[in-house]
Amino acid sequence: MKFLQHELAYRLATQRQLSRREALFKMGAGIGAIGLASMFGSNAVAAEQVSPLAPKLPHFAPKAKRLIQLFMPGGPSQVDTFDYKPMLAKHKGERPGIVDRKTLRNTKMGLMPSPFGFKQYGQCGKWVSDIFPEVAKCVDDITFVHSMHTDIPEHAGGILMTNLGALQPNRPSLGSWLTYGLGAETKNLPGFIAMSPRALPRGKFANWGNAFLPGAYAGAYVNIHEMKPEAVIKDLKNAGLSSAQQREQLDLLAKINQMQLARLEQDQNLEAGIQAMEMAFRMQASVPEVFDVSKESEETRKLYGDSEFAKGCLIARRLVEEGVRVVQLSHSIDGYDIAWDTGHGDIVGGHATLAKACDQGIAALLMDLKGRGLLDETLVVWGGEFGRAPTSEGDKGRDHDHYGYTVWMAGGGVKRGFSYGSTDEFGCSAVENRVHVHDMNATILHLMGLNHEKLTYRYSGRDYRLTDVHGHVVHDIIA
Amino acid sequence: MSAAEAEKLEFFENKVRPLLVEFCYSCHSAEAEAKGKLKAGLRMDSLKGLRKGGDSGPAVTPGDPAKSLIVEAVNYRNEDMAMPPKKKLDDAQIQILTEWVQMGAPWPGSDAAVAGPHGSEPYDWEKFRTGHWAFQPIVKSAPPEVKDAAWVKSDIDRFVLAKLEAAALKPNVSAERHLVIRRAYLDITGLPPTPEQVAAFLVDESPEAFAKVVDSLLASAHYGERWGRHWLDVARYSDGHGGFGDDRALPNAWRYRDWVVAAFNADMPYDQFVLRQIAGDALKENPDPVATGFFVVGPTYKDDGGDPEAKAVFEAETLSDRVDTFSRAFLGLTAACARCHDHKFDPITIKDYYAIAGVFRNTRQKEHPVSPQAEVEAFEAAQAAIRDQDKRVKDFVNAAAKRLEKKPNQVEAVLEEEPKRELSALRMRLDELKKSAPPPFETAHCLQEAGSADMPVALRGDLRKPGEMVKRRFLEIIAGKEPPPFTEGSGRLELARSVAAPNNPLTARVIVNRVWGWHFGEPLARTPSNFGMLGEKPTHPELLDWLAADFIEHGWSLKRLHRQILLSSTWQMSSRFDEEKFTKDGDNRLLWRMNPRKLEAESWRDSLLAVTGELERNTGGPSTDAIWNSKRRTLYIKISRAGDVFESDAFLRLFDLPSPAATSEKRVTTTVPQQYLFMMNSAFMKARAEALGNWMRELPGELSQKLHTAYQRLYSRTAEPSEIDLGAQWLGTNPEPERWHRYAQVLLSAHELIQIQ
Repeated sequence: MKFLQHELAYRLATQRQLSRREALFKMGAGIGAIGLASMFGSNAVAAEQVSPLAPKLPHFAPKAKRLIQLFMPGGPSQVDTFDYKPMLAKHKGERPGIVDRKTLRNTKMGLMPSPFGFKQYGQCGKWVSDIFPEVAKCVDDITFVHSMHTDIPEHAGGILMTNLGALQPNRPSLGSWLTYGLGAETKNLPGFIAMSPRALPRGKFANWGNAFLPGAYAGAYVNIHEMKPEAVIKDLKNAGLSSAQQREQLDLLAKINQMQLARLEQDQNLEAGIQAMEMAFRMQASVPEVFDVSKESEETRKLYGDSEFAKGCLIARRLVEEGVRVVQLSHSIDGYDIAWDTGHGDIVGGHATLAKACDQGIAALLMDLKGRGLLDETLVVWGGEFGRAPTSEGDKGRDHDHYGYTVWMAGGGVKRGFSYGSTDEFGCSAVENRVHVHDMNATILHLMGLNHEKLTYRYSGRDYRLTDVHGHVVHDIIA
Repeated sequence: MSAAEAEKLEFFENKVRPLLVEFCYSCHSAEAEAKGKLKAGLRMDSLKGLRKGGDSGPAVTPGDPAKSLIVEAVNYRNEDMAMPPKKKLDDAQIQILTEWVQMGAPWPGSDAAVAGPHGSEPYDWEKFRTGHWAFQPIVKSAPPEVKDAAWVKSDIDRFVLAKLEAAALKPNVSAERHLVIRRAYLDITGLPPTPEQVAAFLVDESPEAFAKVVDSLLASAHYGERWGRHWLDVARYSDGHGGFGDDRALPNAWRYRDWVVAAFNADMPYDQFVLRQIAGDALKENPDPVATGFFVVGPTYKDDGGDPEAKAVFEAETLSDRVDTFSRAFLGLTAACARCHDHKFDPITIKDYYAIAGVFRNTRQKEHPVSPQAEVEAFEAAQAAIRDQDKRVKDFVNAAAKRLEKKPNQVEAVLEEEPKRELSALRMRLDELKKSAPPPFETAHCLQEAGSADMPVALRGDLRKPGEMVKRRFLEIIAGKEPPPFTEGSGRLELARSVAAPNNPLTARVIVNRVWGWHFGEPLARTPSNFGMLGEKPTHPELLDWLAADFIEHGWSLKRLHRQILLSSTWQMSSRFDEEKFTKDGDNRLLWRMNPRKLEAESWRDSLLAVTGELERNTGGPSTDAIWNSKRRTLYIKISRAGDVFESDAFLRLFDLPSPAATSEKRVTTTVPQQYLFMMNSAFMKARAEALGNWMRELPGELSQKLHTAYQRLYSRTAEPSEIDLGAQWLGTNPEPERWHRYAQVLLSAHELIQIQ
């Protein structure tokens, strides 16, 4: 029901803005109230105060309305998870030409077969590693992209590349671009929320940063280990005052600000401030509520299980239900900011533990979204900043591999039970239908109804975009 | 370059080049040639190559798809020449290539030469020099005549009024006097005036009353704190902690910050200000190394080891920061765009980029001593003595070990009485030396010369793919054809002199424009760090030039410029809304009013502390991260580059401090609910409210009198009767202290305190 209300509000809001937005598109300009203000001067916005997070019409009909990114920092190994390579066992210890590359790190050893068993699942018969038994049950809802590649085999740069489409931290994140382009369907929550248990992924807040986009598009971060809803947003709670006392105080502030507004006749900042104050008041109640998973049924909580990551998955569902546009949930255990990097020394120990910590939660999220009819319009993306080489590092580990790795997507307009692209026979490099991070980002924007070449923001005299001058939409994975 | 040309090039970059790269380069590029894989002798990675063609003749005839083999090939018309061979392009892709040939095969940068009218040159330099406003010499034209001469207080007003009159707009009347003085205090010092200061001005009827206020404000140490902070935005100042291979702390960054503040307060001529920040360490007379902190407070990326790719990327990123900051801050040019290819829109070649990058590649960071020489020497002497004594101990032990045929760590146990005493004495002496050594001397993060080698162009920005060597030199568009190479050390001093030269058309314009923007909320050219083709042209080009020329003529004095601006009718105008004028010029490009705006994070926090009487006004010194306990100005609060290290980061970002990851040209103002949560719920606001509430409660007089006094202190004006009534009603009779606090919190959260009217 709540969801329907948001839908209605969204449609009304978009209709209202339609004519102005049409005018904008004809002129080939960027989108958003901010772009509008800079184009027409303050005239256009003065008449109608537009919250930067008000829903905005996409460039074309979207397949997905919201995005949940399950980010796996550190680089999960493709050949030990979803990219089954039986040839590794046959050629164990060998060093074929494809792995003999100068820029691939630490590949002086030979090929190492996956220590995990693989089985076939679903109608599509997808081979999945034994460390993801629950996700394996969902393969018929998933598109696997096996031909991902990126620019750099180093965590800091790779993580930024994934989240910002750039190696420098001074660019807006994917989530910021999306909220800038689409606004949010919630009036009581930030449009973009990032979560992780314990450690933030390397790069921390830059991963959800707005950079030169207005601050309203920054991701708000919550640590789901501490699980203090008030930590989502600083100063959410007043230490001493009741809600009624605070209302009385805010009524006075509203009056004083209104008197000033009357003196000035018109002041854009002041009008925006009056609105922002009211939303702040509402957020104090709505934010703790949405993070309170005790409201969920026993059955639902059982489906997700007790792990920290699963709690994050459940909250992610509650957030998108409330109209949050983008949720990024990063994996981490033991406070390590690049969790999957434990693969260096020990694939068996590191990867098995990490998979166990997230497998049930991820599967539950997919099933729960599907059960509620939300999966069709919610895009779920799973993956890290790069993969790991099929050769061994030390006895039982693997080093970074940015030439080929796997990302999977579910819901939100992508094909089901489908695999796209491939790595070579050993899983080292993407060879068929290669998909760069820019292509993936262009595709995500496309699924959300945005043209990655038109979603621009003029800053310091240049039109910036998420994909810089790159990116091709991968149409073949779209349902 | 015209907008249409730029659009064509963008079409090429976005649509055409990706196709060529994806489908053609593996057989038809320099790389393919190098690998011996070039097919049909055809190169498709330059227009020259396409026009020259391969074995079958020219691949492209600009403007004529019918005569272009590329079009024939992609249409699979000829069986022997169906390209790309694996799979035919789809119709949309074929259409793109055809359209591109049709529009004349636009190709950016050096390759445009072939198609363009300017011979072997990448750009039509002359056209840029004479056609683009920012590259033309600065011309001081006579201030125009105006109809309403009575409004004119200075030459600035003539330029502004002439434009308004041409558009049939009238400037707003002067702001009320209490607003003018409040605005002046906030603008020049970032702090509101006290009620006494306001009162003194209101009773001073002399014609020089306001000039006196301005002079006293410019003489105040708070001026440098406010205006130095503006410059620190440009300098992407932070106390380090960037993350991403840049996570080192910069514990002495504050010395550069203090240098900036002092330079503003001393009215250091701007050309000197520039010279010193680029090459202060290399000056022969009065070297000023601390100033070079300008570069060192930026990001310096270090890879986490392992692969050469990352190493190259991180060095390239660091150099890019230096070139980007240098060119945008001082010249208003986006030279870093030429890192991978010739600049697409501005006349900056990839060689220009590596000519400048080469200068910084010959430079390294140094911890420069700032303590008195005697202290430095005493420290170093003591450390040398410690090292010597340490060696004596080790030598003694080793000799004994040899003699006793033991390992050094076993010697102690078996040593005879006499040598044991000797060793103990040696060790005691070492301890004494360590104890008596003076503490380390203090240092600043500075630049130092580190060589004089040229560097090659990095193909596609990749340092592992060296191209042609480039001499270190200044930008060709300013220095002229084949600029003389730099010959002294890294070349930094010569680079600095090229920027600070009075005939450089950019330097003075750029700073004068920035200063205007910091006074008015919008600069005359609204992209103050980009004076290139994609930047905005100035709204008042003659005024900008007049100010720049006047600035140079009068010794590059910033204080004089501030005075000039504040004493104009233009600056003193009311910021009031006017429906009719707003309809005509809602963006206020013609300057019919002062722009209404919000205070920056720093000035707002400083104002809160000032009106509650808590502000500590001492200047300079190390930064603190104790933002909630410190009562010092916000300038002295730590900022991390990543924005997530200190308590202060969250506050500053919430109120729009720009990210110091890169140079910032102007602040963006946002209004978000989280700002109001801060006002409603933060411990900081509660503490300020208690201070103000207690002060109000203890004021002499009736309740209404108390409220009057508070309004004077907070907003520099008399309260209206309705405001007094509202307050009195809310407080009730004999209000408890707690009620006073809550009332005070409302007054502190009011928009009037965060705005500049």
